[in-house]
Amino acid sequence: MSTAHTILIVDDEAHILQVLSLKLRNCGYSIETAVDGEDALHHVKTNPPDLVITDVQMPYMNGLEFAEALSKDSSTAHIPVVVLTARGHTLEPSDTDIPNIRKVLSKPFSPRGIAELCENLLKDTPRQSAQSRGAA
Amino acid sequence: MKTQVRRRVFTDPISISILTLTTLAIVVLVIVTLKSKAHEAAAVEAMHVARIEAEEATGTLDSAKIHACIDRTHRRQVEAVFDVLRDAVIVIDAHGEVLHVNEIASNLLLVSTTEAAGKPLDEVISDHQLVSTISDARTGLPKEGRQYEQEITHNDTTVAYEVHLQSVGQKDDAMHAVVTVLRDLSREREIARLKSDFVSKASHELRTPLSSISAYIEMLVDGDAKDEGTRQEFYEVISTETQRLQRMIDNLLNISRIEAGLMHIDRSQVNFRELVERSVTNMKPQASEKSLEIHTQIADVDLSVVGDSDMLYQVIVNLLSNAIKYTPDGGRITISADTDNLTRSLHFSVSDTGLGIAPDQTEKVFDKFYRVENYRHVAKGTGLGLNLCRHIVDTLHGGQIGLESTLGMGSKFWFSIPSGQMQRKAA
Repeated sequence: MSTAHTILIVDDEAHILQVLSLKLRNCGYSIETAVDGEDALHHVKTNPPDLVITDVQMPYMNGLEFAEALSKDSSTAHIPVVVLTARGHTLEPSDTDIPNIRKVLSKPFSPRGIAELCENLLKDTPRQSAQSRGAA
Repeated sequence: MKTQVRRRVFTDPISISILTLTTLAIVVLVIVTLKSKAHEAAAVEAMHVARIEAEEATGTLDSAKIHACIDRTHRRQVEAVFDVLRDAVIVIDAHGEVLHVNEIASNLLLVSTTEAAGKPLDEVISDHQLVSTISDARTGLPKEGRQYEQEITHNDTTVAYEVHLQSVGQKDDAMHAVVTVLRDLSREREIARLKSDFVSKASHELRTPLSSISAYIEMLVDGDAKDEGTRQEFYEVISTETQRLQRMIDNLLNISRIEAGLMHIDRSQVNFRELVERSVTNMKPQASEKSLEIHTQIADVDLSVVGDSDMLYQVIVNLLSNAIKYTPDGGRITISADTDNLTRSLHFSVSDTGLGIAPDQTEKVFDKFYRVENYRHVAKGTGLGLNLCRHIVDTLHGGQIGLESTLGMGSKFWFSIPSGQMQRKAA
């Protein structure tokens, strides 16, 4: 059984998914990917992650709606969310004022910087996803 | 002496006639300069009154009446000029009474021009801040006037105005007046909002390929691509994303130049058939990769038009490229070109068996940066290609472009451009 933290990356740009997945896998994380908020919610229910990195502008359900949906569900409210957006300059602080959002980053981004952020956010976090899977 | 001469001149019936004709000529001149029918009607009325008064003056031969008549006529001319303006104008005298409100101000203040005249300012204007500012201006204004912005609520709608106050005559002069001009800033604000929205969208769309380029380069620098195959894949991503960025910048510049009327187009007799055939030949490899069939139905008629060959080629390639991108593997694309003798135009269309577009999105697909929601996963685009096509067809060639589509049943993009010039030449 893997001891790595699981990170769910949500973006409708395939290149962003690919580059972040590779970087974070190289850092030892287990990676799940989704292409929109609805797809991501499905992933969270079947395989709860320890951390979510999500884009904002996506079809069907955008990243902020997805983060809010996680925060309103007691079984997923504890999962920290990192928002990665190309629209950072147009987002008002109130837009991202959702309890589980830990950081809002603007594109272009540094994969190295994202890896460091994930390490900081997960260093004191037990693998809750594994626990919940075990409990299930 | 001078007065006597003037009196003699004005009491002379011939001079009176000249004066009458001159007055009428001035009023007619005002009419000529008036653009709107409403203003024209006001000036015609002014002319009519002037004529009656001039006739009265002729009858009495009273110079005081003639002077008063001239004053009234001049005043009406000035008022007629105010009424032509698109800004609201309010004129008050030294005592704070309204001398004139023009038609725009009359609509804004919900008071007729005649009702307003002679009333104290605060009986005409309900906005206390505006009353206070205009009243205060009577006691003195800088030479260049005073300007500020203020919101005024009118018919439950709040509109921002630029208020410009200017003194006429000296403070202690009987002629002293304060002219207030209110310019509606709604259109400027709307243009500023659209600009800001455009910059925001452009910034977002440009950042997307830039993010990929920047991230992949950093991965290469950090040695995250462990083998040669992965490195090659990264180089290809950087290359294609750079090309995408380049296309977006080119499209943005072209759209911007067309919108500003700066785009130079090389009009010549274009062999449209050759353009279609060249497009199909160049796009066939991409279609073959997805096992798409391309059928051409090009009518056996003269398909030459007057236009810019490179730009028309760009439109054909763009429509064909979209059909290839958004049609699932094994689908069919049909290209047709024909002339319409009734409308003297050339008609071109690209039909596909692709995803189709929902009715509420068919109008929006030609907007800048608009991306059909369920297409994002299928292929990448700049969100500018169809907008550029519309500009090339509509703005530069005087044609029309459109879309017929049923969700899940495919789409048909078409355009038509006038071929009249070519036909006249042939005739």
